[in-house]
Amino acid sequence: MSDRVAITGIGVVSPCGLKKETFWANLKKGHSFIDKIERFDASLYPSRIAGQVHELDHYTHLSGRLIKKIDVFSHMALVASEQALKDANVDLENIDKTRVGVFMGNAIGGWLFAETELRDMYMEGREGISPYMASAWFPAAPQGQITIYYGFKGYSKTIVADRASSALAIWYAAKTISQGKNDLILAGGMEAPITPYALLSANTYGSLSKNNLNFQKAYRPYDLYRDGFVLGEGSGVVALEKESQAKKRGVPIYGFIKGIGFSSDGYHYYQYSPDSGSLEFALESALSDAGWSKKDIDYICLDGEATVLGDRLETLALKNVFAKELENISLSAPKSMFGNLLGAQTALDLVATIFSMQNDTVLPTINYEMSDPYCDLDYTPNQAREKKINKALIIARGRGGINAVLAVERGK
Amino acid sequence: MGLKEEVVDVICNTLEVGKDELKEGRKLYDSIGVDSTEMVEVVVTLNKHFGIKIETNEVTKFSTPEDIVSVIESKKQ
Repeated sequence: MSDRVAITGIGVVSPCGLKKETFWANLKKGHSFIDKIERFDASLYPSRIAGQVHELDHYTHLSGRLIKKIDVFSHMALVASEQALKDANVDLENIDKTRVGVFMGNAIGGWLFAETELRDMYMEGREGISPYMASAWFPAAPQGQITIYYGFKGYSKTIVADRASSALAIWYAAKTISQGKNDLILAGGMEAPITPYALLSANTYGSLSKNNLNFQKAYRPYDLYRDGFVLGEGSGVVALEKESQAKKRGVPIYGFIKGIGFSSDGYHYYQYSPDSGSLEFALESALSDAGWSKKDIDYICLDGEATVLGDRLETLALKNVFAKELENISLSAPKSMFGNLLGAQTALDLVATIFSMQNDTVLPTINYEMSDPYCDLDYTPNQAREKKINKALIIARGRGGINAVLAVERGK
Repeated sequence: MGLKEEVVDVICNTLEVGKDELKEGRKLYDSIGVDSTEMVEVVVTLNKHFGIKIETNEVTKFSTPEDIVSVIESKKQ
């Protein structure tokens, strides 16, 4: 068997926990972690609810000197990276740092820093703007900050592909490891869209739930009364290395990255193509890349956009690709509990899927109450179920149909 | 408070470093590993604090606290 790409460390900063143990314990309960946005006046925004990270400062290991120079999306990624490195028992003193890389995905960059400083620039002139602005806001900033913090000098990359960003980053990292270009890679994503301007931009997309009053029921994928997804913020980071190296180091292996399928709808700049062919191609490609057949799959972590069209197309694609095999495949969208983290979403889905495998549990899709005749699959509604999961797929779809499907295999 | 203490105060508060970290006669780069963007912030803050106009090439990461005091004194004259 070829040397597989192993996941040996996990870091997570999420609306339902800033440690992997809390993240899992909270997800298993099947509760909503969506709340009203109160950190700024969001009262006039059509969608003013989100899954939010609280108490980041309580969990941070960073100095005030560094925190003031970076946007919160980098801060979250640095905290998740520290957790992943510790979890993977990486010996930072003796590792060859020229062979350690950082592969991250996010969709929008660090807007809290950017919008605050731009305001100051227009109000106070040139000297009103922080000199850190130039390096704080842009999408590759977290990659840079992580490499600087640890002195990692290996091949590294940031990928921006809307809500498929971290799926592609994790796959690119796995490919880099399997090609032997790096010995260790921190891979994942981060997103911090709960800021006045970023929230406004996300609202104009038109796919966010406006169910502000009943916020814990707002994110309801596949339910007849769904009206869009709810934003989330956070970061997920995994440590990747070759299976042989992990075994030599004697560290536990959570799972393996086995393959990816991707495609673009090539239809519109933000709408999906009205047929599901492109997503089907991505699903088929992921199976083929991993060397799996349809009946091998135990679980699919769904995209669950919770729009009328998005959920119907996803359901249709699953039916067309898996047909009768769907009876044996569990499906769910755990993000219904904590929000959609845009470019960081697949990183969180990967962590959730790994824990599902470790604990023989399928996490639920919450708020599924009324069935839509076009979304009539078993999406594991509202309550977790026991099931052994060996092989899983994770679906991510970005605006305009950037489709990515990650194939993940159980470790121990 | 003497001018030197005032300068050290401004630098430490701006960069959130301890006063014991800045060493007499040592370049800021050597004592606290300051970088060039941090120096831009230090210069802007010094200008505001003392009501003067230092250019970013007059005070750099290779300046010592004493060098900075001399530049400020020359501007105040």
